[in-house]
Amino acid sequence: MSEAPILSARDLRVELRSRRGSFDLVADALDLFAREALVILGPNGSGKSTLMRTLAGLERPVSGRVVSVATGPVTMVFQRPAPFAGSVAHNVRVAFLGRQRSGADLKGSVRDALERFKINHLAEHRAATLSGGEMRRLALARAFALRPAVLLLDEAFAGLDADGQAALSLDLRRAISDTGVAVAMVTHDLRRAMLLANRIAVLIDGKLAQVGLRDDVLEQPSSFEIAEVVGMTNLVQGVVASDRRGDCALVEVDAQHRIATRAECPVGSRVWIGIRPEHLKLDVGRGAVDLIGKGVVRGVVNDGVAVSLQIDWAGAELRTHLMAGRGLARGLDVGAAVSLSASPEHVHLIPVRSD
Amino acid sequence: MSPPSIGLLIEITARTLAVCLPALAISLAVGLPIGIAIGRRRFAGRVPLVSLINTGMGAPPVVVGLLVYFALERNGPFGDLSWLYSPQAMILAQVVIALPLIIGITLAAVGSLDEDWDLQVRTLGVPKRWRLWLLAREIRMGLLAAVITALGGILSEVGAVMAVGGNLEGETRVLTTAILMYTQMGELEIALGLAVILVGLMLVLAGLLTAVQQSGRT
Repeated sequence: MSEAPILSARDLRVELRSRRGSFDLVADALDLFAREALVILGPNGSGKSTLMRTLAGLERPVSGRVVSVATGPVTMVFQRPAPFAGSVAHNVRVAFLGRQRSGADLKGSVRDALERFKINHLAEHRAATLSGGEMRRLALARAFALRPAVLLLDEAFAGLDADGQAALSLDLRRAISDTGVAVAMVTHDLRRAMLLANRIAVLIDGKLAQVGLRDDVLEQPSSFEIAEVVGMTNLVQGVVASDRRGDCALVEVDAQHRIATRAECPVGSRVWIGIRPEHLKLDVGRGAVDLIGKGVVRGVVNDGVAVSLQIDWAGAELRTHLMAGRGLARGLDVGAAVSLSASPEHVHLIPVRSD
Repeated sequence: MSPPSIGLLIEITARTLAVCLPALAISLAVGLPIGIAIGRRRFAGRVPLVSLINTGMGAPPVVVGLLVYFALERNGPFGDLSWLYSPQAMILAQVVIALPLIIGITLAAVGSLDEDWDLQVRTLGVPKRWRLWLLAREIRMGLLAAVITALGGILSEVGAVMAVGGNLEGETRVLTTAILMYTQMGELEIALGLAVILVGLMLVLAGLLTAVQQSGRT
């Protein structure tokens, strides 16, 4: 992106306190641009909330700085939204405290804010009586009421069921595109990240480990830990072979299993082979060119929408998904032998660290 | 001794209020900020301080009266004030009784707020002068409970005001000390009449405060 960031962190070091003790949060460079949604992923305790709070100016870094050139407010929605005592409408009015507004103007603004997140019918209810999902909606409505230039969301979907998450994330996505606010959000829910993110940043053990465009990070994680966080769950070790197949490198898992890839690593080096579950295909005998060999189905989980398969392949457990109720998915059961394929451009390599 | 006239009853009642209400006002003015500060901050020595306050909440008033007496007697550290046996001494004693109650209940109310409450208010851009208003609004149930408890404590208290006020007619005689005196004198009807006034006073004041407290429950 060529424009200047609206919020940027440089050489950040923040002391991180958690139940597991204290360590440092380190982020060399993190930028947030106008009109983008940056999703920060990381395992529990990796410093996501601390990073959010630091960007919001609520935590003071030990060194480094956060620079904001935002022309509007920078606001944050917390992991546990605690509503103020009083009505839902009062909760939104709090965002206007101290700002000169006429009564009618204020009323209209409050109504607009509530409508944005579809809770206008609850305006006169006591905020404390709202359900978890309604409370999240209230917290977002209140934050958007400020007309923020930057919105920081800490686990905005925590504690919601799948339907609630899906509905809220659609409303949130519309609110983001309607207002043009720059959003940085923390989540450990990969599916939310996929739906909302333009870019993804990954925190591992308090370190900002990778930042990039969504698909780049999802498909080319730079370490084993990042791969796990971004859902590249099929990870198998192999050695880069000396021979090639066309313009593809070959990686040898064992004597029977070799995988072609467009990724490049030095011949002879130990690598993690990473394949996202959605890129691991079952071959139905159409003679696919990217066959990687046969596997045995070890687990089938059908939730009515998707069928998740665990497949034993070359001593490793691989995962893939099929649409429920269609073709292959119907007859598959534990113990079935299947042919697997993965196209070389979706086979990613990560050097194995020697430590 | 002749039974007190209506005028005297009114005078005693008025003096009771003249002692209790300033004592309450001073306790609130001093106690609320302290309660809020202790409730919202973490600092070394907080736990011993809070347990000291909790102890103070249950301190026997007659012992408080004794301590204030020692402080105010002619050879005491504040003897030069010549406050002993004056309404000022009674107000002081009642402040010492009410203060821990107000601090203790306020800090409990503030402590029940979400850990992130201050941060949420800050990130919503609420100006500083509005934050205290918002906080008071959040904990108004607790605050009014503090006021009612403190008022009840000092209005009904007899040991301390007797010790430092002395129950001097026309000067430091208040409802409780008068009730005690008339009871000891065997003037039970007068004692009972004064008791009715005292209970009535408490009913009215607590009723008003409760009405305020409950009105905001929407």
